[in-house]
Parts: sequence; C-alpha cells; structure tokens
Amino acid sequence: MVYNITFGGVGGQGILKASEICSWAAMFDGFHVKKSEVHGMAQRGGSVESHVRFGKQVYSPLIVIGGADYLVCFHSEEHERLKAFLKPGGKDLIGYLDKAKAVIENPRHLNTLLVGVLSASLPVSTDSWMKAMETVFKKKIVEENKGVFLKGREMGQS
Amino acid sequence: MNKLLLSGNEALAYGAYEAGLQVACAYPGTPSTEILESLAKFKDLDVQWSVNEKVAFEVALGAAVGGVRSLFACKHVGLNVAMDPLMTSSYTGIQAGFVVIVCDDPGMHSSQNEQDTRWVSIYAKLPLLEPSSPREAKEYVKEAFKISERYDTPVLLRMTTRISHTKEDVTCGERKVPEQPAFEKRISKYVMVPGNAYARHILIEKRLKKLKSLSERTRLNRIEKGDKKVGFITSSITYQYLKENYPDASYLKLGMTYPFCDDKIREFAKGIKKLYVVEELDPFLEEHVKTLGIKFSAKDPSFRIGELTPESMPAIVAGKVKREKKSAKRKPRMCPGCPHLHTFSILKKLDFFVAGDIGCYTLACLPPIAALHSCICMGAGVTFNEGWRKAVPKAKIVGVVGDSTFIHSGITGLINAVYNKAKGIIFILDNSTTAMTGGQQHPATGLTIRNEPTKKLILEDLCRACGADNVDVVDPKNHAEFEKLARNRIKEDALSVIISRHPCQLLKR
Repeated sequence: MVYNITFGGVGGQGILKASEICSWAAMFDGFHVKKSEVHGMAQRGGSVESHVRFGKQVYSPLIVIGGADYLVCFHSEEHERLKAFLKPGGKDLIGYLDKAKAVIENPRHLNTLLVGVLSASLPVSTDSWMKAMETVFKKKIVEENKGVFLKGREMGQS
Repeated sequence: MNKLLLSGNEALAYGAYEAGLQVACAYPGTPSTEILESLAKFKDLDVQWSVNEKVAFEVALGAAVGGVRSLFACKHVGLNVAMDPLMTSSYTGIQAGFVVIVCDDPGMHSSQNEQDTRWVSIYAKLPLLEPSSPREAKEYVKEAFKISERYDTPVLLRMTTRISHTKEDVTCGERKVPEQPAFEKRISKYVMVPGNAYARHILIEKRLKKLKSLSERTRLNRIEKGDKKVGFITSSITYQYLKENYPDASYLKLGMTYPFCDDKIREFAKGIKKLYVVEELDPFLEEHVKTLGIKFSAKDPSFRIGELTPESMPAIVAGKVKREKKSAKRKPRMCPGCPHLHTFSILKKLDFFVAGDIGCYTLACLPPIAALHSCICMGAGVTFNEGWRKAVPKAKIVGVVGDSTFIHSGITGLINAVYNKAKGIIFILDNSTTAMTGGQQHPATGLTIRNEPTKKLILEDLCRACGADNVDVVDPKNHAEFEKLARNRIKEDALSVIISRHPCQLLKR
C-alpha cells in the first residue's frame, strides 16, 4: 500500500517544510519515500503544491488527480483547486485550518500544527516524527515545534 | 552507510562527492542551482559560481584535463551558452572524469523554452545518461565518471525539473578519490588545430562504436520481463509514470540513452505484441527506433508540448490528442516592496519601449505593469536596445538587465553598443544578488559561493571603462530623482547607463 498526501497553499506558508517533515518521518520508519514539488517561482507568491508518497515501493513522485488519501490545504482560496486530488473517501484536513489558526500563537507554526493533525492518521511512529523535526528545524526551534506538533496530533486524534 | 532524504540535485552532489569529485563550476539556473549549492557544503571541494556557463564549462574542463574529476552543471538554456567549448571538448577528451550535468525544464516551470537537450548527445557525439529518480541520479553520476575515464570523453547526464526536485530516501557511502595522473604536455590531444582535430575526429568515431557496445551491455539499459502483450521502451521520469499505470507490462528501461542500444531494442521488440515508445518532450527515442524498422506506437505530437504526468500515460497509450486546459494556479509576481516594482512603475510612466532580459524583473511584463516588452535570453536587454533602435530610430527605446545577468552576458553587449555608436539607456537593475534563483552571490556582491569575501567588481567603474557616455547610480525608491534622470538621459544623443540600485527584499531575511 502506498500512502498519498497532497500539501498545498501559496508561497511562504511553510508547505515545503511540512512535506519535508512528513517525508523524513516516513523514511525513518523504513518506508520508500518520494516527495515532489516545483520550486523556482514559488517564492514569488505563486501556488505551492507538494506531493508525498510512501510505501514499500513508490514509482511516480506525483499523485494523480483523485489519488490522494489525505489533503492538507494551507489556504482556503487554494482548496477549490486542490480538492480534485482527493480520492473518493480520502481525508480532507481543511476543517482543521481555522481551528489550527486559532490555536497557534506564531503564524509560522501553522505547518507544524497541520503536520501534527495529519500524523494522527499515518502509520508512522512518534519517535520518527520527533527525529524528523530534529532533522528539519534549526536547533533552537526544535523544542517549540515538537510542542506545536503534539498539540496538532492531539487535535487529529480527537 | 547512511540514509538521507535527498532531492535529485542533492543526490548528484553526494554521488559526485563519493566518486572523488574535486572541482565543480556552474552559473545558477532553475532547476539546476542546488547541485552546486549542495556541493559547496563539502568543504574539501573546490566549488565556484562562475560568471557564466561558458566560463564554468571551461574552468571545469580545464581541471579535468589537468587530472582531477570535475563537473559542470547547468539548466538546458545554460548549455546553449557553453556549446562552444562543449563541442570541442568531445574532440580533446579528458585526463580525469568530466561530467556535464544538464537539467531540462519540461513544462517551463521557470524557463523561456523547453528544448530537449538529449539531441546534443548526437550533435556532440557524447554519451548520454538519463536517471529517472534521485537514487538513480546518485548511481548514474558515479557511473558517468567511470565512463568518462574509460572512454576518454565528457559524459552528458540529463535531468529534468521533476527529477531534480523530487526527494527520495537515498543511501550514501564513502568518498574515494582516484589517484591523480601526471600532468603532461600533450599538444596533439589538447591543441585543436585542424590537423590535430582531424586525428581526434577519427578517434571520436571509434569511441562511438565502443560506447555503443557499452550501451548494449550496461545494466543501465535493462529489460524487465513482464506481460508480453504490452511493452514500453522508455527513459527518464516517464518510466516511473508508466510503471505506476502498467505495473505488469514489459519494459526496456533506458538509462544510457545514447549511443542507442540497437541490438537490445530489437531483442526486446521481438517478443512484444503491442510495443510503445513513450518519452517526455521530443521524439528522441522514437525517431531512432523508427530507423530500425520496428513497428510501434508513440505519443500524439501534441504531447511533445509541456511536462508529462502520470495521468498522461493512459491518454498517450490510447493515442489521444492532448487536451489543453487552463491552470487555476496562482501566477508568480514580484514580491511586495521589490525594488524592481519602483523601477518599472517609472519606466511605465515614461512610456518607454523596454528591451527585457531574464530575471525577476521579467515578471514586469505582467499586468498591471506590463512595462517590459521582450525577453529572449540573458544579456539580450542590452543588445535589443541597439537592434530596435536600428529599426525604429525615433522611438523611446531602453534596455534593462540585472546585475548578475549583466556580468553573465551584458558586458559584451555594452561594449558592442559603445563600439558601434548605439545610443539610449541601459538600466542595470542592481538588487545585489542573483534573485530569481534564490539569491546566489556573483562578482559584484564581493562574496563567493561559500560567502567568503573576494575582490568586488564595481559595476559603475566597469561601465565607464566600457566607454558609456554617462554612468549614474540611483535608488529606484527615490522616484523623483530617478524619473528626472531618465527623462533627461533619453533626450541626449548618448549611450547612458543608469544603475538602479536597491537590494532585494529577500536578502534581509
């Protein structure tokens, strides 16, 4: 089985970081991982989309329309376009966007919180999520992000 | 042994490092930029941002001829700039391994055209490797160094945006540096005067034969036996998309695409009922397989345009025409507070015809500003000013060029304009970085790729030395001063340079 997660929003929202955490975590748990996005002009405010796929063996780094098990959308205006990625019966985390924004004190934590929410649905160990954050974040912000992540994880579990 | 999540570009850097690479040169260009940025993190390597791709190629080739493993990396249009040394490097060959990495951009995520660089392998008579994933990128770059040394040839390694920017878990290992051969004077090999070059051309044709035989036996070209009813000949990312859609089919997966492995292609085709050749962009494999007299189906020519996706595969197999649909994605634009916005609001107000160039400021062509009226290649902002003025002498024509771009290929255009008595204004939009590719250093920032201080190029001194009649430096946020200066200079019978200087907002982060 291959897990397919589409992350999306606009440049500057930390979307690539979110998909990065997810990919490292899956890798630490021994999955074959492919993650794809296109940078280049994203920094200039364009749409950002990142696809993460992990499982025993992954071929395409891109998720097809109607192929995502999970959609993590960071921007309500992008949701209309992105929801086409969801499989029938796939899980849309858009309902958590406003809740997430209400909980965080620092807007830069939105990505970590949403990853926390997502983590509740994925077969990846807490240890690997923690290790992923230690890998991805600068040392001095690792602990605060772990806290935010756990808050999100709890939100996703309830 | 250590597992890391690496992009295709990072994987190339790790692979090259393990292969004993010592020198790497490039000019930044999406999607290739991260190759050099990743290599720069290995402190024991000699890594540089060069002034342009031609220079980068020559420095790296020089190092390989000198006896250390070297690489040059660029985007597809960057290779155009380096074509002159590339073509003759095929004749000279090398002393230690030399790999030419080129990243194509199907779909033009960040480019001005979608040329398929694979044709260069035929034109330059060089072997071509095409990885289909970051794992393969790492493996293939190591293989490329071996092939380079065994066959005395530069090796082309062709990536695409999708593979360069996909991340995958990759296993990393130890670095091994091969022993350096003695540095010798070899005039007949490295001085390409006609007589020597003729002799080298004979060797090139022999080399191609040997490389073809390698292509027949290398594991980079592999047959995957599956259902014999359907078979695919494919390479690069398309292989992954096909496997996703048709896991049970048979495959001839080509990793060393040129020279073509004709025998293997024939052998594979023999047992297959319905054969397809599927590849991204141009019909590179397709045209060749046709010459072998093999019957197969290929994509409709409409699919030669743009990037393929996993969704394209069933449509291609069904022989359908590509359906063009409008993207709902947000378009990139200049950042709020960008100094270029100030410059272009004034150029728009003055209603100039603006010859443009490649950089963030190219986005000034978009509404509501729409004040940039051409974009061909790096440096052409300067030379188009001259060309347009020949055609329309009375129009208010100016040229724009970025700071990094001016150094890349604008300087020669400025000297040409001075020499040939062209007039007008050349605006150097100096935001003190190579902004479009994410903020790389260049000679006028005074810092190297590792942010170490070096001698700083002073643009105003350079422009004066080139012979510009007027050279002014102005901050574009100072609208009144900028506008007055531009109004005056456009009336003069002179060639003026106005350096519009204000650092990129992203530098402050």
